[in-house]
Order: sequence, then structure tokens, then C-alpha cells
Amino acid sequence: MRAQFRSRVRLILAFLIFIAFSIVVRLYFIQIVHGEEYALKADKQFTSGGGKLFDRGSIYFTRKDGTLISAATLATGFLVAINPQTLGDPEAAYAAITTAASSTSLSREAFIATAAKKNQVYIEVAHRLPEENGLALSKQNILGVEVFRERWRFYPGRTLAAQTIGIVSYGSGDTLAGQTGLEAAYESTLARSGDSLYRNFFAELFSNVGDLLVSARDAREGDLVTTIEPEVQTRLENELAELNQRYGSKESGGIIMNPVTGALVAIARYPSYDVNNLQSIDPVELANPLVEHVHEFGSIMKPLTMASALDAGVITPETTYNDTGCITVNEEKICNWDAKARGVIPMREVIVQSLNIGASWVARQLGQDQFRSYFMKFFGVKTGIDLPNQSAALLSNLSKPQQIGYDTAAFGHGVAVTPVQMLRALGALANGGVMVEPHVVGAVRLNSGIERELDWSERTPVFSPEAARATTGMMVAVVDEKLGGGKLKIPTMSVAAKTGTAQLTAPGGGYYSDRYFHSFTGFFPAYHPRFIILLYTNDPQGVTYASETLNATFMDLVHFLIDYYAVPPDRGLPAEGGSASGEPTTP
Amino acid sequence: MYNLFSRLPFSFLSLVCAAAGILFVAYIGLIAVVMSYAALTVEFSQSARNDEAAVAVLESQYLANVARITGTDYAADGYVKPVSTLYVRAQSVTALR
Repeated sequence: MRAQFRSRVRLILAFLIFIAFSIVVRLYFIQIVHGEEYALKADKQFTSGGGKLFDRGSIYFTRKDGTLISAATLATGFLVAINPQTLGDPEAAYAAITTAASSTSLSREAFIATAAKKNQVYIEVAHRLPEENGLALSKQNILGVEVFRERWRFYPGRTLAAQTIGIVSYGSGDTLAGQTGLEAAYESTLARSGDSLYRNFFAELFSNVGDLLVSARDAREGDLVTTIEPEVQTRLENELAELNQRYGSKESGGIIMNPVTGALVAIARYPSYDVNNLQSIDPVELANPLVEHVHEFGSIMKPLTMASALDAGVITPETTYNDTGCITVNEEKICNWDAKARGVIPMREVIVQSLNIGASWVARQLGQDQFRSYFMKFFGVKTGIDLPNQSAALLSNLSKPQQIGYDTAAFGHGVAVTPVQMLRALGALANGGVMVEPHVVGAVRLNSGIERELDWSERTPVFSPEAARATTGMMVAVVDEKLGGGKLKIPTMSVAAKTGTAQLTAPGGGYYSDRYFHSFTGFFPAYHPRFIILLYTNDPQGVTYASETLNATFMDLVHFLIDYYAVPPDRGLPAEGGSASGEPTTP
Repeated sequence: MYNLFSRLPFSFLSLVCAAAGILFVAYIGLIAVVMSYAALTVEFSQSARNDEAAVAVLESQYLANVARITGTDYAADGYVKPVSTLYVRAQSVTALR
């Protein structure tokens, strides 16, 4: 009997194992072998017939109070497709579709021709129907007309920070992907695998048990939180548009950065474009000139030359030189902007009066090797900014022995750098002699809900704090004494600034005598800066000097930022009943 | 053991059939649960997406308003720049008032 019992137990066990095995096999075929097929069937029931719905992470602006505002997100609506084989009444279908999709460009004749293609079963005829219109059309249940859910990339700010946010398009492949700006730079973070809806334990147990426990995708995919403040960005773009239109410039650009952290608060270029409507955009306009184009910036380079020489110890702020107005170097003549001699003057005047001869003299005190060494630190390496297609600076003049290359580089001619490179180097003056990594994205909000701060902590010391401070003092004098004849001075706020005017290079070599590139940089409060601003306008008409074009724009932005961020005064608070003074109260 | 099974009121075949039946029902139930879960997931996901899109429209309006206010020409509206600016020390304030 014991043997009979054992055989029965074995039989039951075998049967149970068979049942279990059958279930496992069945699940394997349903969820793994035919998984995609069933997923598509589910899609058809709930979404569209065209495969997976487009999905992508969002990009956010960050307001000054920390509120996130979408810079790039997804819009939802419906697309309409017809099945010519089952479409009964094309006229009625066309009337219903055009009522629902009022913005469709499909003409009646084109629709009738499409409906006549009886060898096809699926032709999309209208896209991006609003929610209510799509649902209303769907409820009509018109034979041969199918309404499917659709999603697409939507940029609520339209033109706001367009070149920085970037675009999504098919590019050369058959999937939508980021092509420019942050959309391209953070493609792996923003892209979505798209199958998360159909994930299940059983399938993942077979396919990737590691992902089941710690998902690599969840650790990678997320939304971008930028450091761009939407109201400051709007203000900067507005100022640049006005500037560009007033002077008929070829283009204008600007960047506002926190010089201590490297966070870009605003970054803009005019002309811009509406990211939601790219149909009439010249692809050239999609590039971001602030990181991709190099310019000779002119005299805003002088503070860097000055700080380098002060740091190297070859001059002091009290050092004097004899300014002759013009000099000849390697058979080339270099002159001050007005070609006038100043005689024996101190270093401060090189910055305050923007003297080319003085900057060249300082460069010669440094010597070619030291000068090259400093400039390679500023511009010889990539800035680290998280935007694609950064251009390298053109510094070939500094690899030649001719002194003229160094003399002209000292006042911003003969070397060409990108606006972001220039801002990063100038930021060292505002940050105690230390360069930071400019960046646009401060954090990634992962799908798991965790917000991961990005590491932008790399610091590159280039000057001593003393050299940076001494140069800053000279730049403060520019605002207090020179800009607008001293009328632009803010009694309660020390502002350091420098203008730059460079002749534009002519295609055949040499420079135009009547076409200019204007630049302007400044930071405030000068000795504990919250913001550094870089502005430029390319080829303005009818004006020669940057002080004529960019003074007002710069000071408008300074006043706006002081008010908007409630930046406290750093100097010259009037005594009770007294008037404001101009001396800084901070060391 | 033999005595135990011999005293049970049902045969082994019945036991096996019952077990198979229970497993089958459980299998059907699991499929139903998985399908319902998938349907609800899709529905909730779409609902969340719709809400996000609605928020995006509001954000778009907010940014358009910011642009409109920033672009306002106050001079055209009759405002003029002050003739002079006087900087004064802010009045000290107490924490309690």
C-alpha cells in the first residue's frame, strides 16, 4: 500500500508541476513572446493606431521664489485618420473633420483624393485637435474615420530662451529626438523608453531582474530644472529686441549669470524664433550663437589683461607709463580710440579711459609666455557649459612670436572667443579671481521623484583676490566717472563695468573701418556680486562706440535686477538727512 | 498516512481536479487583475497628461502676460521719468508691530 501511496503522490506532484509549467509557458508567450503585440492592441483600445504615444521629460524655468514654470512640456490632443476602404461618405466625413479640426490645411479636393486611395487602410488627415473637438468627433462614430490620442512637444514660452531650450525633431533618424540646445544636450535624460505602462513583474523577471530591483532607467530619466528665471529672461529678450531694432544690428545677445555659482539666470539672442512653429525657420537660426559663434570683443578684454599683470606682479595699480597715443609694433600701427596721447598716467586710466596703448604696454610687461599662459587659462579649454556644439576660441596669434598679436589681444583684437567663454573669464574678476562653470541646468528631477542636484563645483583660480579687487575698482570708476559723464552712477550700488568696441573683420582680411562689434560687461554689487552681465550687438548702424548703444540697455537691466531681487545697497547710504555718497561700504 | 487518505470522503482524482480548477480560476483572475490594472494605469496616465497639458496652457498665458507687461511702453501711456532721484535710508522696523 505504501508503494501505491507513493505512486499517487508522484502522480499528483507531476500533475501540479505540469499545470504550473503550463501556466509559466503561457505567461511567457503572452508577456514576452507576444508582449509587444498585446501592448499594441492595448494602445489601439486606448490611444492611437500609430504605435506608441510620444513621451518626453519636461524642462522647467525656475522663478526667483523657486516656482517651476514649464519651458518645454507635452500637449495632448487628437489626430484624425481615415480608412478609405471603409469610408462611406467622404463629403460628410470631410465636413465633420473640418468642423472639428478648424485649423487643418487639408482642402476638400485633397481629402476626396485621399479618400479615393482604396488600397490603403490608414491615412492621417488632421493633427493636434483640441481635446473637446477630438472627443466630439470621436462620439460621432463616422464609419471609416478614426480619432486617436496624440501628444506633441509644446513650449509655453514660445520664443523665450528658444536657442537655449532647443528643439525636438526627427533629424536624420525616424524617432523624435532633441536636435539643439538642452533638448539635445540632455537627450538621455529627457527621452522616454515608452513601455513603462506595460511593465510587469513576470516579464521583467525573465528579461532583466537587475532592473526590477534598481531600475537604471529610473535613475537616468527625468525632467530638467534650469536656472533660467523667466521674468529676467523676458526682460533681457525685450531689451535686446529694442536695442537691435533701434540700431538695425545684425544680431544682439546677452547673458546674465551668478558669478559665484555659474548659474545662468538669462541667456538670449535676438533675433529668436517661435519654437512651436518651425515651419518657416531658416535652420541656421536654430544654432545658439552664444556658445557657437566667436567674436573679437574689443576693450572688455582689457580688465582681463590688467588683472593678469597685477596677479603676475609685473605692475601695481600705482604703476605709471607714458601714453604716446599711437605706437608701431611689427610695422603695424596701434592707436588709442581717439589717437590722442595722455602722457604719464597710472594703470587705472587704462581701464577708465579704455586706452589701447596702455593695454599693449601692460601685455609687454607680462611677456609673451605669461600672457599666453593666462589667456590659455581663460579661453584655451571648454567652458563646461551644458549646451551642445561649443566652439573653440581662436587664439592662433598667441602661438606666434610677433609681438603685435599680444599687443592687440590685450585690448580684445586678433583673438576671438564665444560670449560664454568671455563671460566665464570676466566672471573671475567678480568672483575673487576664480572662474566657475557656467551652466543652465541646476538639477534633474528623476522619475522616482528624487531631485538630483548637478555638480557644477569645479573652480579654476586664475587671479589673486587682490588682483581681481584692484581691477574691479578700476571698473567701478568707469561707471561712476565715465558712463554718461558720470550720470549713470548709482549712489547706493557699486557697479563695475567696461565697454568694448571692435572693428569687424572683413572677408578678405583686415578690418572694416566703419563697421563695429559692440560689447559691454558689468557686475554688481561690485565687491560681492550677485549678477554679471555680458551684452553685445553686432554691426549696429550709425554708431561707433559701445557706450552709445549698450549703456542704456545695461543700466536698465541693472536697475531691473536690483528692484526685482531687492538687492540691498552696498555703499553710499545717506546719513540721516544727508545726501548719498559714492564710496563702497563693503571691503 | 494510508489510513488518513483512506478515510477522506473524496478520491485523489477529485483532489487533483479541484486543485486544477482552483489554479485555473486563479489564472483567469490574475489575467483579469492585470488587464484591469493596465487599463487603469493607461487611464490615470492619460488623465495626468491632460492635466499637465492644461497647466501648460496656463503657464503659456502667464509667460505671455509677463512678456506683455515687460513690453509695456510706459512713456506711451503718459508716464514720465522722475526729474531727480533721491536715495534715503530705509526706516528701521521692529520685528513686532
